[in-house]
Amino acid sequence: MKFNKKDDGSYELDVTGYVCPHPQLYTLKSLEKMKDGMILEVLVDNPSSVESINQACNGKGYTILETNSPKAGVTAITIQK
Amino acid sequence: MAEAKSDRFKIYSIAIVVFLAIISILYYISAPVYLYIVAYMWFGFIFGILQQYGRFCFASAWRDLIMVKVPRMFVGIMVGMMTFSIIAVFIFTYYPERYHTSQLGLHGLIGGLLFGLGMVFAGGCATGSLYKTGEGNMISLVVLLALSFSQAIFAVTVFDSIFERFIQSLPSFSMVELLFGKPAGVPEGTTYHVQYGDYSFWQHMFADAGINAILIGVILLIGVYIIVVRKGFLKRRAATMAASADGGEVKMGFKDELAGFWHMISSSKRTSIAAILIGIAAATMVFSLGWMAKHYDFNNFGNVLVAKPASAGSNTVSSTLPASQGWPDKTYPSDVAVRSSSTVFDPGYWYITTQEAMAAAWSIKAVGLDSQPADGSPGYLENNHYFGDYNGLPVPWHSPALLLSFGLILGASFRALRAREFKWKFPTKELFIYAVIGGTLMGIGARIALGCNIGAFYAPAAFGDPSGWVFFIGMGIGAYLAAKFVNFTANRKMADMDFDIEL
Repeated sequence: MKFNKKDDGSYELDVTGYVCPHPQLYTLKSLEKMKDGMILEVLVDNPSSVESINQACNGKGYTILETNSPKAGVTAITIQK
Repeated sequence: MAEAKSDRFKIYSIAIVVFLAIISILYYISAPVYLYIVAYMWFGFIFGILQQYGRFCFASAWRDLIMVKVPRMFVGIMVGMMTFSIIAVFIFTYYPERYHTSQLGLHGLIGGLLFGLGMVFAGGCATGSLYKTGEGNMISLVVLLALSFSQAIFAVTVFDSIFERFIQSLPSFSMVELLFGKPAGVPEGTTYHVQYGDYSFWQHMFADAGINAILIGVILLIGVYIIVVRKGFLKRRAATMAASADGGEVKMGFKDELAGFWHMISSSKRTSIAAILIGIAAATMVFSLGWMAKHYDFNNFGNVLVAKPASAGSNTVSSTLPASQGWPDKTYPSDVAVRSSSTVFDPGYWYITTQEAMAAAWSIKAVGLDSQPADGSPGYLENNHYFGDYNGLPVPWHSPALLLSFGLILGASFRALRAREFKWKFPTKELFIYAVIGGTLMGIGARIALGCNIGAFYAPAAFGDPSGWVFFIGMGIGAYLAAKFVNFTANRKMADMDFDIEL
């Protein structure tokens, strides 16, 4: 797991290689540490976690800005807190 | 580059279908009756596609609800189970012999608790680990191996004493029996074994589907709405309404509660669609296998392996081949349960763990680790209730339900390849430990409870068997405890990390 600063107010969480429940858990815990308006890009290769992250963000009121697949099997979810 | 990979994935997905078609043809050429186990395989394939599409996993149902407040899978499982329950009443009306109930007792709660602990540690339930293996997730394969071998070892060591002392004599009954009593004409106090056909269609629909599956399912969904979803939904709705009302007073009423409940049900279309289709597929499977068994004249697929037609009666092996067309020319007595002679594990519905325990025990036998006595009596692997009396140790290609598991993995691979979600993933040391511990706990839990999340919960709950809910409660308690532990370790790990967030 890697957590990197990309830019001012923008961070990247790489949870590739992890299985449930770790990707969704680390995503939410990272977002909890961030300030409103900050952006987190999550890289995940566990399909069921993608669904859970989307749902959890909707429930918390975070905005999913973009979801794409930079390479086969990997999903990048951009979330604004 | 990405397009080339995408094309390769498409070719691999087609290759899977061709491979399964060739297997099906070979089975049919060998003996037409083998279409019965081919049907298991193709239903597994359908379950694999649907599970992968809907990310259908019972571990997720409890764990995500507890850890990240996401109810989508819990909702999906309830919706699927309720759909299954309605169709099941129609099917059992035609094939009552396909119906049975399990013993109800503390073993279901304890087994469910161990299973719940295990599935959260493992990152997937028994059937979830199968579909995730199909996605290329080798951590789930480790889970499956741990699950299979722990069950086999448990079954040949302590299962008999636990079963005989605590489980065998426990009552088993369905909701229809509980509500309507013994059928008319049966004197009270007799030990008459209730049959499905003893009650009317509407009695089954009311008690088994209506009360045991739908009423309990709806109550649980309302509970989840109130505890997990309601507060956040109404807060967001009030804010939206206030904005459109230019800051005027906003009151929430019953209509808004219904909107919130519907929002919970429909928030993950993918999961809900998959859940309904899984329910329909599970019911269609019961119907199809019931029809085929009747058509080929056997009660249990083991009958076919020892050439004993259903019409010949029970428990004696016929010395002559059956008149029924389509049976194999040869017999395979070593493939059936050695102490009852003519049965092999053939549940007739969606089932997961037992066939994997059988495959593990068979592999132990295949490498010569079964010490068979010189007098020809069964070795330790089969000298027990589990393998010796009920399930047998058939070669994998004669094990009907194992073909389902095989088809499920490939169905999930097919869908993952088509959706560009297939990715080989290998365990780190941490995930390997979690997988072994989780798989082992699930294996032991499944044997104590006499089934896993499918065989001890999903199917029984839908069939009107209250024992399914006992397992479900145990599974929830176990998942809660494991979720607390995983959350604790995640917090420790996060505390060690440098987040470098400028707040």
